Amino acid sequence: MNRDAAVLGGGAAGRPLFIALLTLGLVLIYAPAIYLLLASFNPGRQLGVVAPSEFRLIWYRSLLGDRKLLAALTESVLVGLATATIATPIGLSAALAFRAMTTRRGVFFLFILFAMFVPGTIQGLGLSVIFKMLAVKPSWITVAIGHLLWALPFAFTVSLVSLAVVRPNMIAAARDLGAGYWRAFRDVALPLVRVGIISSFVFSFLLSFNEYSRAYFLVGRQNTLPLTMFGAMNSGASPTIYALSGAILVISFGLAGILLVVRRRAPVR
Amino acid sequence: MVAEPPQRLSILFALTGRLCQPAFLLSLPALIVLIGVGLIPLVLVAFWSFWSFDQATYWIKPVLTLDSYRALFNTGRFPVFIRTIGLATLTAGFCTILAFPASTIIGLMSRPRLAATLIVLFTIPFFTSALIRSFAWRLVLGRYGIVNSALVGLGLVDQPIEWLLFSDFAVAIGMIAAYLPFAVVPMVLILARIEPSVIRASQDLGAGFWTTLRCIILPLAMPGVIAGFLFVFVVALGTSTEIQLLGGAGDSSIAIMINDVMRVVNFPLAFAIATAVVLLMSVIVLLADRMLRLSRIFAELGS
Repeated sequence: MNRDAAVLGGGAAGRPLFIALLTLGLVLIYAPAIYLLLASFNPGRQLGVVAPSEFRLIWYRSLLGDRKLLAALTESVLVGLATATIATPIGLSAALAFRAMTTRRGVFFLFILFAMFVPGTIQGLGLSVIFKMLAVKPSWITVAIGHLLWALPFAFTVSLVSLAVVRPNMIAAARDLGAGYWRAFRDVALPLVRVGIISSFVFSFLLSFNEYSRAYFLVGRQNTLPLTMFGAMNSGASPTIYALSGAILVISFGLAGILLVVRRRAPVR
Repeated sequence: MVAEPPQRLSILFALTGRLCQPAFLLSLPALIVLIGVGLIPLVLVAFWSFWSFDQATYWIKPVLTLDSYRALFNTGRFPVFIRTIGLATLTAGFCTILAFPASTIIGLMSRPRLAATLIVLFTIPFFTSALIRSFAWRLVLGRYGIVNSALVGLGLVDQPIEWLLFSDFAVAIGMIAAYLPFAVVPMVLILARIEPSVIRASQDLGAGFWTTLRCIILPLAMPGVIAGFLFVFVVALGTSTEIQLLGGAGDSSIAIMINDVMRVVNFPLAFAIATAVVLLMSVIVLLADRMLRLSRIFAELGS
């Protein structure tokens, strides 16, 4: 947004009303998560938030002894890293292609957008049937392939936005000085989009790590963490699940928040 | 032997030239993923939805039939479609109502620094667990949750309200909270394109806040508002999480129905439901793109 100040005043009633609705939206998004986080420090079995002086980490400690959860965590981290490692370069490459395109940009974009909107259940179902036909045994690899499609639109968008810093004339200058396409990319563009690439990797990881409905159809013998958690949530949740949810929320919110803020701070133009 | 007509050769050269362009080569990995992992499974699912269920192998056999599509209109199934579409419409409506003022604040009514912070706050949820955020509502809305405790504590009700959780109310709240960012992002993108001088001109001519909003901003922002509504609608159409965690006993949605049908391995029926949903979704996204020129707006993103 290249505006130096607010364009629209608010009038007598407009501004407070709009701010109230914005706040309501943010409360709906964040309040339950924060409440869950606070409740996870409650040492009692009875749910709810206790005074900060009574906060204990006993449920977090009992997490470390839960082998089932740790196995699922390992699986999810493995799938997430695999997804991010593949989705990041593909997303960047697609973003570079998008910029280099002279025609059919809209179609290409629409195609990528579609991948974001196809319901996970349907995508998971379709892929699982294909794997069955090809006699591919379900494992972390099949989950990662499913997640690749889920993460790609986001990796593409993040890369595309971060590439906005790279002006076409910078590349043209490098080309004039005799650099090939690859050299111009590596020495001029890449250093400028480093934060974008890291963001793309982390976002892809988080998307995969938290994905549930595709994994449901694609997992092998070892469940991923969201699948294990879903099972636990629907069978008389023990407080351990609150601790695990709290930990995942802190990590996800924290990582996403840091990266988004860093991206905003990154030099523009 | 007849010589190859020269014009055909030149077409071939033009084609190879085009295929060797960096734009095409760079898009190749993404295209392989989008087509191989995304499109082909969906096309095959659509194709197999016309096959028959094979009782002997619990798989499908190549006997063409429309039985699965007839089964969509079964007494038990059709209401689930209607219900899911209704819920998605409700969610999209509320998200649009909340997202428009929020986006106006972000796009037109705050300084860049605050706007950037607010955009970050509305973007973070994309990357967190929908499962956990849904689950958190159980603590808030439950019998001993914060809402009921507060209501009882204030003496507004004698007993905890039961319909707050495991009800349509809980599902709707959970879905609105989950999909609000999907409505905010397109609206902010469109509002950012409004020329500030247009708004200043309206103000100079003496229009107040509401008049400027109604006559200038809303018409210009309409593509974003419609896009926001449709984005939420499409995502809400395919969800199962909120209903499984917050809905009442026996509550269902299209996605849950697919899972249930798959549990009894009725592949053609699951494929038919999936195909119907993907078709509906594609029509909505394509219509939205045709009407609102979304892809053109996003196409400017990279330049």
